Amino acid sequence: MNADSRKGELADLKAQLRQLAGSRQPGVEDIKRELYKKVISYMTIGIDVSSLFSEMVMCSATSDLVLKKMCYLYVGNYARGHPDLALLTINFLQKDCHDDDPMIRGLALRSLCSLRVKNLVEYLIGPLRSGLKDANGYVRTVAAMGVLKLYHIAPSQCTDNEFPAMLRALLLNDPDAQVVANCLCALQEIYTAEVNVSPETAARDREHLLSKPVIYSLLNRIKDFTEWAQCLVLDMVSKYVPSDSDESFDMMNILEDRLQHTNSAVVLAAIKVFLHLTISMADIHQQVYERIKAPLLTLVNSGSAEQTYAVLSHLHLLVLRAPVLFSNDYKHFYCRYSDPTYVKKLKLEMLTAVANETNTYEIVTELSEYAANVDVAIARESIRAVGKIALQQYDVNAIVDRLLQFLEMEKDYVTAETLVLVKDLLRKYPQWSHDCIAVVGSVSSKTVTEPKAKSALVWMLGEYAYDMPDAPYILEGFIENWIEEDSAQVRLELLTAVTKIFFKRPPESIKMLGAALSAGLADAHQDVHDRALLYYRLLQQGVEVAERVVNPAKQAVSVFADTQSSEIKDRIFDEFNSLSVVYQQPSYMFLDKEVRGPIELTEDSGILPLGPTIADDVLPSQLVDATDNDLLLSASDKEESVAAVSNGSHYSGPDLAGFESSSAPPRSTSSPSSTSQVTSTSAAAATSLLDFEDLLGLNTYEVSTPALFSLKLKTKPSLVAQAFQRKWGQLAVALTLDHTLSSPASLPTPQPLIRHMQSNLVEVMASGGKAPTFKFFFYAQAADSPSSSGFFLVELIVNTSTGFSQAKIKADDASLAPAFQELFLAILSSFGSN
Amino acid sequence: MQRFLMGQPLMRKFLGRVADVLTEYLGGLSEDLVKDNFVTIYQLLDEMMDNGFPLTTEPSVLKEMILPANLVSRVLSVVTGSSATLSSTLPSATSSSVPWRASGIKHSKNEIYFDLVEEMDATINKDGFLARCEVYGEVLATSRLSGMPDVSVSFTNPSILNDVSFHPCVRSQSWDSNQKLSFVPPDGSFKLMSYRVKSLKNTPIYVRPQFSSDGGVVTVTVMVGIRANVGKPVDNITLQLMLPPSVASSDLTANHGSVLPNHSTRVTTWSIGRIPKDKAPCLNGKLQLESGLERLREYPTFLVGFKVMGVALSGLRSDRVDINRVEYSAIKGFRAVTRAGNYEIRS
Repeated sequence: MNADSRKGELADLKAQLRQLAGSRQPGVEDIKRELYKKVISYMTIGIDVSSLFSEMVMCSATSDLVLKKMCYLYVGNYARGHPDLALLTINFLQKDCHDDDPMIRGLALRSLCSLRVKNLVEYLIGPLRSGLKDANGYVRTVAAMGVLKLYHIAPSQCTDNEFPAMLRALLLNDPDAQVVANCLCALQEIYTAEVNVSPETAARDREHLLSKPVIYSLLNRIKDFTEWAQCLVLDMVSKYVPSDSDESFDMMNILEDRLQHTNSAVVLAAIKVFLHLTISMADIHQQVYERIKAPLLTLVNSGSAEQTYAVLSHLHLLVLRAPVLFSNDYKHFYCRYSDPTYVKKLKLEMLTAVANETNTYEIVTELSEYAANVDVAIARESIRAVGKIALQQYDVNAIVDRLLQFLEMEKDYVTAETLVLVKDLLRKYPQWSHDCIAVVGSVSSKTVTEPKAKSALVWMLGEYAYDMPDAPYILEGFIENWIEEDSAQVRLELLTAVTKIFFKRPPESIKMLGAALSAGLADAHQDVHDRALLYYRLLQQGVEVAERVVNPAKQAVSVFADTQSSEIKDRIFDEFNSLSVVYQQPSYMFLDKEVRGPIELTEDSGILPLGPTIADDVLPSQLVDATDNDLLLSASDKEESVAAVSNGSHYSGPDLAGFESSSAPPRSTSSPSSTSQVTSTSAAAATSLLDFEDLLGLNTYEVSTPALFSLKLKTKPSLVAQAFQRKWGQLAVALTLDHTLSSPASLPTPQPLIRHMQSNLVEVMASGGKAPTFKFFFYAQAADSPSSSGFFLVELIVNTSTGFSQAKIKADDASLAPAFQELFLAILSSFGSN
Repeated sequence: MQRFLMGQPLMRKFLGRVADVLTEYLGGLSEDLVKDNFVTIYQLLDEMMDNGFPLTTEPSVLKEMILPANLVSRVLSVVTGSSATLSSTLPSATSSSVPWRASGIKHSKNEIYFDLVEEMDATINKDGFLARCEVYGEVLATSRLSGMPDVSVSFTNPSILNDVSFHPCVRSQSWDSNQKLSFVPPDGSFKLMSYRVKSLKNTPIYVRPQFSSDGGVVTVTVMVGIRANVGKPVDNITLQLMLPPSVASSDLTANHGSVLPNHSTRVTTWSIGRIPKDKAPCLNGKLQLESGLERLREYPTFLVGFKVMGVALSGLRSDRVDINRVEYSAIKGFRAVTRAGNYEIRS
């Protein structure tokens, strides 16, 4: 339809509607209905029919319900954009609010509330008030939601007219369950929004909503609610903390049959309640797992792939928390031919997670079948899964059999994955070298093309040169093809392997070493060049020195780094039955800032990420396009890794550092043999770090808070950057503090103060600024508080030229803030005095 | 924030339910149907949710508020001239204590039927072992009963059920205490319960595939037969062979039934139907591998289809249906059918 004919048609419609407006002749309703239908269709497909507004309103005087509905729909759609015209509708909507038919009353009230025009709010109050008192449940249902709509347009008018209080009364007393549900929904949203307006009242109101009488009245009639309202109620109940275990048991008894509901949403919501009620009762918690297993397992394999994935994600979370409880149910996680790849992948993770001594054989047999899968991605994942399981258990023969089977398949990607797997196995179980090497020996190096697999093979050749007679000759082949080797990772690996072989079998490899080093020195890749140069110079210092650095005795890796911190896992668990579980991320990581609420931290552009000591270590590239959030993140990550180094618990000397460092320094390429180099530098860094601290005399600090303070701090508070941001955004400033430092001159850089704070159990989250003004974010945690609460957050701004400092303190528990303030002041005053 | 965190399963399930309701109202769900029925859809959405919060999705309740715009009501509106897309009264169920059933329902003929529909999921692994076998079952009911009947159903062997879930109308206390289903049914068709039975030891039919490769040609032999007599004939047996990508061409024939290769999906379907008494069905033929390949490296998977009328393979049987609290006597019926669900055989 072109623009002209459309205009013509609209004019035509307009004329017809106008003609019908006052008409009372029989059959007019049917003609009107057809016209309205046309208008609605145009509106829906995006044609602007707002020019018909007055005609539509004129025709709205009708007793036909469908016509009315269409009219309401039209008005609701255009009122917002044409507030002046919307005024025309008020009259007939208000009249309809007093109709005899409850359905018309309800619909009119809903339309009235949905106009969303600020100037018209005054016309809304009266009908809304009488709607809430209407004799018919349908009208009250609409009215309850109308209050929420009013709140969104005009919050103060909503609260001033006591609407929330009316909803609260209905919540407890209304005979219609849907009214109760809508009240609950509206109140929750209103109180959440009120937090920004009047935090104290909102907190009190929320508390009231979560109080025993409210929760009990909802629970007692849970079966009256629709399935969706049940989800809402259950979600709220999961936030309620019962006073004792008897109460928990009562609640679980009431809710037990919700686990048998056909609606998976209800089942999952109920499961969340059960998990939260029993979180502090270990044995009951376990029984809950047993109880909820059956419904979850049913949901996994019945229904759509999307449902399967969502439920599996939830199960995955539970399995990781209690793998043993699911060890007999592994067959539920077998992949089916028709499963989409994303489901299969998750199932493989599940199989890996539940594997233990009793079921490993079956699981690995099953996984081995997938290795022949047509879906290459899944075939690869299956082999990795076998690898992960192998790393958990000790049956060398069974595993080696599988490996041979994989290699016999003669498929490039299978061979590649297998090689990587063998390498990881050897890093954990060096004692298996004999069996594993026998397997690797059968691989023809020409079939290995993937860099990861090639690196693994080269590493094994260098590491186990004694067990493989022809290792030097295979490596020689690689060296000859140096130019053709595209991957820098492989070339790095080659350098290390050749050097290691040289220590073990010098006569056979000296020539090759020369070739490799000269090729490396000429290499265009900076890292390769540097490593070649390093080895060259080390060798100049003497073979023994070089061997101590390049090929120290290794300690087997006991645990490979876990990618997700337990705090994050706990947080995801708290958000059970939400997208967080499906994304495997806590909500603050994927929700928009607007949704999360304001975060003050981000307004400061001057914050630089700083670990406690290695401020220079941040790669420039990381700084370039990262937002403040990311900077904070990288700062805290680094802090952790540095903490691991400086703790010294895993690192007693330069050659013991092992592979664990592969999780640490961001600049490391962290390929297996390159770690020997990285290790030595990081270990050396660790030593020098210790020396440095000794020089400063920092180790002499007492690592405990002075006894005269009532508040004790936790020795190792742990708070990730995101959690810090979230808390900072949520909490109000409890106290502020002004102080003048006694020796401001001792602050050329932020580090001394950071160290001073750390020695007094106050950790740094981020610091930044330029002399003379520095800004710090500190945190500490009260001793004896659970892992996620009892935190104190401090923003400290220090002017080093005047010594003037100003602190803002926020606390999870505001009542502890004064004690903390006192303590913080004492710590701050002691800076520079000793 | 509250809303963003509202259960993900809830959102997914709700959207699914909306689609179900629309399908039922429009007799399908397609772009054209949606375009033709904007008004009905708007009306439905209005009653199903308000301000983003789900209200009722119970079809029986919705139908009392908004009549389906199907042929019957259109004809009706032409004949009587009355507006027929909407009933003039509010459904009593919106405020009834039995939200799934309106009061005052009347049928001239009172009847209730139950369908036991089971799907068998099984995986036979490469070595011919039953890696897993489970049955997912549903009891579908169609109720046309007047008044407020109270129905109870009992099973001979409820203990085999591994996990059950019920329609909201089922009283769970009754199930917990004596394993009986006791409920006031909604009017019309609904899913009364669904269940899972795990660790079945046997499947009704066997499939024995054999592959031998020689110089790029794979010889295939597949035998199919009845493994155990289930009391009723096994019908509609089909076998789908998923060819791996390394197979260039195939030439397969069978001594019974029809073989239909589909080159675009790489699926060859062998429809057997019922196993004949006099011979064992057998599929023979050769697969030509892509040049350069000596032998088959990915082994194909077979998907099996079958149907058994009159028997629930899980063994579940109902022994009694009682209808109480009504004056009339009603016709009661129970049927069972088992189909292959995800029944796969790896070779």
